[in-house]
Amino acid sequence: MSDGIKRRDFLKVLGVTGAGAGLVGCSTDKVNKLIPYVVPPEEITPGVATWYATACGECSAGCGVWVKTMEGRAVKLEGNPNHPVSGGALCARGHSALQGLYDPDRLKQPMRRSAEGFEPISWADAEALLASELGSAGAATLFLSGHTGPTLGELMDGVAQAIGGRRVAYEALSEAPLREAARIAFGRDEIPTYDFEAADLIVSFGADFLETWGSPVEQSRGFARSSGVSDDGSKARFVFLGSRLSLTGQNADEWYPIRPGSEGLVALALAGAVARRGGNAGPYADLLAAYDVAGAAEAAGIPAGSLEDLADHLASASSPLVLGPGVAGQHRNATAANLAVLVLNAVSGAVGSTLRFASPVNGIPATPYADVAEAIGQMSGGAVRALVVHGTNPAYTLPTASGFAEAMGQVGFKVVITPGMNETAALADLVLPEQQPLEAWGDSSPRPGLWAIQQPAMRPVPHFDSRSAGDILLGVARALGADLGAETFHDYLRNRWSDRHAAAGAPGASFSEFWREVLRTGVVELEAPARSEAALQPPDRALAFDAPLLDGEADGLTLLVHPSSRFADGRGANRTWLQELPDPVAKITWHSWIEMHPDTASERGFRRGEIVRVASPHGEVELPVWTYPGIRADTVAIAMGGGHENTGRWADGRGVNPMALLPAEAEQVSGALVHLATRVTVEPTGRHRRLASIEGQSQTFDRPITPAVELGLIGELHGDDYGDYEQLRELQGMGGFVPVPTDGRPEDYPLEGARYGDYDPATNARWAMAIDLDKCTGCSACITACQSENNIAVVGEDQIMMGRDLHWIRLERYYETVDATQPGPVDIRFLPMLCQHCGNAPCEPVCPVYAAYHTPDGLNGQIYNRCVGTRYCANNCPYKVRVFNWYGYSDVPEPLNWQYNPDVTVRAEGVMEKCSFCVQRIRGAENRATAEGRDLREGEVVPACQQSCPAEAIVFGNIRDPESRVAQVSQNDRTYRVLDVLINTQPAVNYLRKVTFHPVKDIHV
Amino acid sequence: MIKKQWVLAVAVLAVAFVTVAFVQAQGDDATASGSEVAYGPEGQPVAFPHNVHAGVEEGQYQIDCMYCHFSAERSPSAGVPPVSSCMGCHAYVAGQGPDGGPSPEILKVRGFWDRGEPIPWNRIYKVADHVQFPHMRHISAGVDCTACHGQVQEMGVIQQVQQPLTMGWCLTCHLEMGASRDCTVCHY
Repeated sequence: MSDGIKRRDFLKVLGVTGAGAGLVGCSTDKVNKLIPYVVPPEEITPGVATWYATACGECSAGCGVWVKTMEGRAVKLEGNPNHPVSGGALCARGHSALQGLYDPDRLKQPMRRSAEGFEPISWADAEALLASELGSAGAATLFLSGHTGPTLGELMDGVAQAIGGRRVAYEALSEAPLREAARIAFGRDEIPTYDFEAADLIVSFGADFLETWGSPVEQSRGFARSSGVSDDGSKARFVFLGSRLSLTGQNADEWYPIRPGSEGLVALALAGAVARRGGNAGPYADLLAAYDVAGAAEAAGIPAGSLEDLADHLASASSPLVLGPGVAGQHRNATAANLAVLVLNAVSGAVGSTLRFASPVNGIPATPYADVAEAIGQMSGGAVRALVVHGTNPAYTLPTASGFAEAMGQVGFKVVITPGMNETAALADLVLPEQQPLEAWGDSSPRPGLWAIQQPAMRPVPHFDSRSAGDILLGVARALGADLGAETFHDYLRNRWSDRHAAAGAPGASFSEFWREVLRTGVVELEAPARSEAALQPPDRALAFDAPLLDGEADGLTLLVHPSSRFADGRGANRTWLQELPDPVAKITWHSWIEMHPDTASERGFRRGEIVRVASPHGEVELPVWTYPGIRADTVAIAMGGGHENTGRWADGRGVNPMALLPAEAEQVSGALVHLATRVTVEPTGRHRRLASIEGQSQTFDRPITPAVELGLIGELHGDDYGDYEQLRELQGMGGFVPVPTDGRPEDYPLEGARYGDYDPATNARWAMAIDLDKCTGCSACITACQSENNIAVVGEDQIMMGRDLHWIRLERYYETVDATQPGPVDIRFLPMLCQHCGNAPCEPVCPVYAAYHTPDGLNGQIYNRCVGTRYCANNCPYKVRVFNWYGYSDVPEPLNWQYNPDVTVRAEGVMEKCSFCVQRIRGAENRATAEGRDLREGEVVPACQQSCPAEAIVFGNIRDPESRVAQVSQNDRTYRVLDVLINTQPAVNYLRKVTFHPVKDIHV
Repeated sequence: MIKKQWVLAVAVLAVAFVTVAFVQAQGDDATASGSEVAYGPEGQPVAFPHNVHAGVEEGQYQIDCMYCHFSAERSPSAGVPPVSSCMGCHAYVAGQGPDGGPSPEILKVRGFWDRGEPIPWNRIYKVADHVQFPHMRHISAGVDCTACHGQVQEMGVIQQVQQPLTMGWCLTCHLEMGASRDCTVCHY
């Protein structure tokens, strides 16, 4: 030891060199500027958020949102709690509207096709060109639009009429079969609304009502309220019938893995069985008599007895609800299948109670594919001389076989109005940059009488010289001599709202006051004509309920092409938040995959990640295999939304577009595009790729991570019962590992041992969270909300493959019971895993620089400017919720950096980060309370995840306050803390166990 | 023995240089505290005399700080006066220049107003990006503006005074005043 380096010598040398480093460390000649307003806007206080109420334009559900703006810049979206559809929540796609607004690939100015591609032109020239071309085309003008707000739709029809042309509204995800079935069954050409909250038995024939079908946020709320166990121990049962467990299916209590295409037969057989148990089949009694349970079970590939069981449930349920096949199950007999489901609803007594025509879904006047096919025919035949496309991307969303691209080439003049380039715009002669919904006027009306205003939350992003579609159309109409009564779309909208206000009996003092109030609240209920409920009527046409024909070889695998829960039909693919959001089912990011049952894969020798060639008679694609026990062995599935070519830097070339595999065929009855139409062959290519997945394990191996409890046994749970782990704890033999028992009572906090640092249990709060896993649907909206609120960077596909994802919440998904061969219980468990803010945190003692420490209010703090990036804390975290910024992930192209929340530090590379319990919101609320001279109010601090959660599964607050909701929710027999019984981390996140109808093992941990 | 110390010294120096290079690469703002070079008063677009406006001497106008820095009481940000605030007086008050005519500096302000342009002030005070400094909490705790910004009412040319804007300086006051010394009060 004598010739070694002594500790004191080491410190001396270190001190001298350290001082030298200090001398050169601090200097900069950068001068910052302070740019004041010339005239300050009245509503803006620098540093304080201004909120605007508007409507989400991402899908046709029409949720209300609040937009947080800082100094005139939108930085966050939240659900509008006054809006009956969203009820304060918002989905991941809704949050991503912010990235649509700041997408650096948006068009900077109007573009005209020239010999060398596109060249910029001025708005004046573009408008003159547009007016002259549409003027000369006249009646040979075709408007092709997607879903629009009601007023913009009226304006479009008005302009089309003025020119003499016509409008076709095409949405890739259309519910035409359901609409037609409703017309046949009830004489109502409408889509009903569903009351999930009131239902005690929910049966879905593959409808993905938590993700893409209908109004996902509203339905998630209703579903969680009924299917989450209530205080009195009641809980709705959810039965899923379908060939693949979507995210919705993963939430089911029972799964009937029926053969794709057998939905109609099964629904009719069930309706017959329920009718025999006393249901009223009305005019359908004769039809039902022709279908028996045995035949349907045979067609579906399941035992007949199981269908009789389901019929028993349906007959005995007090308010059942049955949901139709949805888009993925849209096959050649789709209307018949939807009709069968509606009849089953009627026989079970759902119509008028849980399924309502008195308040139908409004404003999806989309025309079915058949009309688009007709338009394509006219385009190829030269009958269309000018084509105006807005809000839809048919060159991408239609099957390649439809020939849309070629037909568009036959049109003399093509103009596309779009915020950014897309596959259709790439074929146009003129591309006009459109404003995004967050910077433009508009409206929505999700159901009769319910009106929401879409107002600009900020001035148009200055990087892009864009205009609103309404203003462009009004300009064209004016140039062609048509007077639509308004100079700007804002005036037009206001006029139309004035008409509606008058038609509804002019509620309130005056229209201008009414208008001001609408702008403030974002939504208003106007009186609408009363509607009756519906009753079954005899069918006016004959339908075939048999299994549909499928193209392709008989021994092929049935292909299910389903809307992506992240991109729906493919819009939003250039938003990095959505690309990096792990798919709720597959946990894969950034690329496409084909879902295949493990048995099917091993039969063919495919491993996970093997790239296969999938071929149908209509086309082929190559993509990697992801084995999934939640899909039938004879079925494979591919999500829509990948394989873009002209949409932007983050979308192009990623994944594949499964529409290439589908025929361009309309269902005979409703005219809808058939999605379930073909079998495919799957051949190896000999190549393999690593999946960009964040999935670690899909099994818990009986560790106390997601314990569940059977419905009848909740009362037998005890917070201090450690079951089989008693022995394990003794083996560990370490005093520090002996857990401190608690039932989550406020007076238990702080627990023994949780007294680090400044934590003052006498005066301070103990911030804590409760997450009800019986409500959580795994939808992942919390992840994107957190990403938006906390400036979480996106790392990209290659970094994800290296395990460097930066999300502060990870939605873990564990398979407990999944059997695709026979009907039975399905048990898939979700666990939103975020920093547990442990009272006894393993990360804190290992940090050499005290960057991880305990705050006086019980948070596990992470101080970025202290962190030197040793990553010891992440290594010692049993929950793996600490993430490290390896590179400058936060550097994003202008103006995407405008999305950053100024209340939160944008972290640089070399820094560890993790969930902070939205400490900026806690401090903000404390600042407000101090300014008003009062204490914090219960419920005043709402973290972004709780705010966004459509299932209302998350509750946050001060658990030391017995009156707080989090304390009350946590005092539940179902409460447990992840891994706490093993390692005594004393987490602040209390999870409430999932409740099952079937027996589960190890309920005591 | 000595040899080993030299080896150690060289090794530690090398590590130190790498660290410095790394810290500098982290971004300029993080190391900006206390440097007068960074926030020097040279070349302000208008030679604004704080003493004339806020001073209490003869011929000075004793305008309250928060008349111009209007949001200090209710926002994290103190607020920089908009040009319209200047014009509230200077539409009428022209001052006196060296040649007996209107003050050329006030004419500059009127010029910005006429052109509808903001005045691009050089920023004097800035805490690092990872620091949250809520002005209103300090005002409501009774901390005088001069505690951090010095005797601004006596300054003809605004400049950062001796305060180094380091964390130790912040904490000294926090401890004296009995304010929180928890990290997450300022850093998140």
